[in-house]
Amino acid sequence: MAALVLPAGVLVLLLLVAPMLLLFRISLNEFSPTQMMVEATTAANYFRAVQDPYYRQVLVTTLAVATGSTLLTLGLGFPTAYWLARMQGRWKSFATIVVMFPLLVGNVVRAAGWLALLGNGGAINAALLGLGVNAAPLPLLYNTGAVVAGIVAVVLPYMILTLSAVIEGIPRQAEEAASNLGASPLTVFRRVVLPLALPGVIAGSVLVFVLCMNTYASAVLLGGPQFKMMAPAVYDQFVRGNNWPFGAALAFILLGFTLVLTVVGSAVLGRCYRR
Amino acid sequence: MGSLVLDALGKRYGASTAVERVDLDVGQGEMVALLGPSGCGKTTTLRMVAGFVPPSAGRVLIGGKDVTRTPPHARDTGMVFQSYALFPHMTVAENVAFGLEMRRVSRAERETRVREALRLVRLDALEDRLPRQLSGGQQQRVALARALVVNPAVFLLDEPLSNLDAKLRGEVRMEIRALQQRLGLTTLIVTHDQEEALTMADRLVVMERGRVRQVGTAEDLYERPADPFVAGFVGRCNLIEGRLEAQGQFRASSGALLPCAASPAPPGSCILALRPENVSITAGTDGAGRLKMITYLGPQTEYHLDLAGTPLLAIRQTPSADDPLRRLSPGDAVTISWDASAARLLPAAQPETGV
Repeated sequence: MAALVLPAGVLVLLLLVAPMLLLFRISLNEFSPTQMMVEATTAANYFRAVQDPYYRQVLVTTLAVATGSTLLTLGLGFPTAYWLARMQGRWKSFATIVVMFPLLVGNVVRAAGWLALLGNGGAINAALLGLGVNAAPLPLLYNTGAVVAGIVAVVLPYMILTLSAVIEGIPRQAEEAASNLGASPLTVFRRVVLPLALPGVIAGSVLVFVLCMNTYASAVLLGGPQFKMMAPAVYDQFVRGNNWPFGAALAFILLGFTLVLTVVGSAVLGRCYRR
Repeated sequence: MGSLVLDALGKRYGASTAVERVDLDVGQGEMVALLGPSGCGKTTTLRMVAGFVPPSAGRVLIGGKDVTRTPPHARDTGMVFQSYALFPHMTVAENVAFGLEMRRVSRAERETRVREALRLVRLDALEDRLPRQLSGGQQQRVALARALVVNPAVFLLDEPLSNLDAKLRGEVRMEIRALQQRLGLTTLIVTHDQEEALTMADRLVVMERGRVRQVGTAEDLYERPADPFVAGFVGRCNLIEGRLEAQGQFRASSGALLPCAASPAPPGSCILALRPENVSITAGTDGAGRLKMITYLGPQTEYHLDLAGTPLLAIRQTPSADDPLRRLSPGDAVTISWDASAARLLPAAQPETGV
C-alpha cells in the first residue's frame, strides 16, 4: 500500500521540498548591489522585512485583504453552498457547473474583465456618464475594494464547493427535528446547521485564506502600482531588484504567517464549537 | 384540547396528486395509524400535520385552532422521525433538552424534566453519550424522549420502528403504546406494517395512492373491509373475482359456484373476500377440491388449494399427529368448505384512475 504514495511523494520531494530548502538557504545569504548574492548565514533579511515600515505595511495590507476577502467569501458562499447542497434532481449538476464556471477562466483574463468593467472608460462608468448620473468617472479601479472584489470572484467557487460537500452530509431531518421542537429558521441555522458545517467552514476558509494571502494577478492588475501585497513584493525582489536573499526572506515570512494563522484560526474556531 | 382534525386535506405536486382529500378527526388521547404501501401519501399527510409540507387544499386543526398556515416551529407537535434525526453534535441530554430550551424553560426545570423523560424511556444512565455511541434501539428511545419531553399537543410518529430488528420492534411497539396511553397523547403514526398498526392504534386509516380507503378499528378493517384493497392489505385474504348471480350465489370467473353471505348488493360483477382461516378442509373428495401445496409453519399449516379452477389459500391450526389431514400430500383430493357468512362480497376493483 505504501508504494501507492511513492510517485506523488517523489514528485513533492523533488519539486516542492527541495526548492523550498534551497530558497531557505538563499534567504540566509547577504546581498550586495555589485556582487548580487553573497554566501553568508544571517537573519538580517528577516529583520529588515519586519522592521522596514514599507514592508510592514505590505504585510499588514496582505493580512487585512486576505482576512477580509475570506470573511466576505464565507458570507457570500454559505447561502449559495446551502442552496446547492439542498438542491435535488437534474438541475443540481447544472448548478454545480455554473458555480465552477469561474474556475475555467484564468486569473489574468478575469482581471482583464474587471478592468473592462471598472476602468474609467469601463462599462459602469460609461453607463453612468452616458445616463448623465455622474459628470466625471468614478474611481472604481486601483483601490482595495477592486482587489477584494477580484479576489472574492476567484476564490468563491472553492468555498462553495467545499462547504456544500459538508452541508450535503447534514441530514435534512435534523433540521426538521429542530424546527419541530420549536426552533426558528435562524436558530436552526445557529444551533444545528452551523455547528455541523464547521469542518467545512474551517476547510473552506483555510483554503481560501491561503489563496488570498498569495494573491498576485488581482493585486497587480486591479490594485495598480501603489497597491502592494506580499506575492508581488516577492516577485519584485527576485525579478526587478535581483535581491534574491531578501525576496526569499519575504517569501518565508508570507509562508510563516499563512501557516500560523491557518493553524491558530482553525484551532480557535474548532474550540468554539466543541462537539 | 389536544385533538387533531384534518379537514379535506390535500396535496398536489404539479399534475400529480400525492394526497387526495383526507378527512380525519383524532380525539384527545387517541392513537390513529395511517397505514398503506409506500407512495400512498401517508407520510405526506403526516408532514402536512407537522408543517413541513404546505397543503394545497384543506385545513389542519390542532386543539381546535387552525394551524394550516403556521410554520413548523410554531406548531405544538412532537415528531419522531424514521431516521430518528438526533442532533449528532449534542449529547443525549442536550438532544432531549433542546425543545425545552426553545420554549425558554428554566435551566433547573429543564434538568428535572430531561431526567424524567430519560427515565421514562429507561436511558437515564446514558445522558452524556453522543448519539453515535448508542445502539439503534437506544437512539430511537432518545428520539421518543426528545419529542415527549415538551408535552406536545399532537405526537407524530413516522415509521418509528422500521430501522429496528424484528425482536426489538415488538418490544418497542409495546413500550410506545404504553407510554402513549399513560400520557394520554393524541397520536398519529405512519406505518406500512399492518401488524404494527393493528397492535398499536385505536383506529386505522388505510390509504392507497393518495386516497383514504377505509377508516376504522382493527376489527372493522379485518372483519368488515370496505373494498378488496383493504381486505388484501390488512391480513391475508382470498380475493376471488366473479359475479353475484342471485342472493348467496357467487359464480367465480373460473366457473365454480361458491356460497357467500347475503348482501344488499344487486347481482353483477363483484369480488368474494374469504379469510384463509375461515376455509376448512377435510380429507376425502367431493370432486371439486385438490391440494396443491402444504406449508408447515409450526402452530399453523398453510394449504394451497384449487377449487374447480379457483386458487384458494386455507390456514388451519396444524392438525394433531393422528388427524387424517396430516397424511395429505400435494395432489390429493380434498373437500373444501366454509361458512357462507364468512364469505363477504366486495365491490369489484374500481378502474384505475389516472393519478
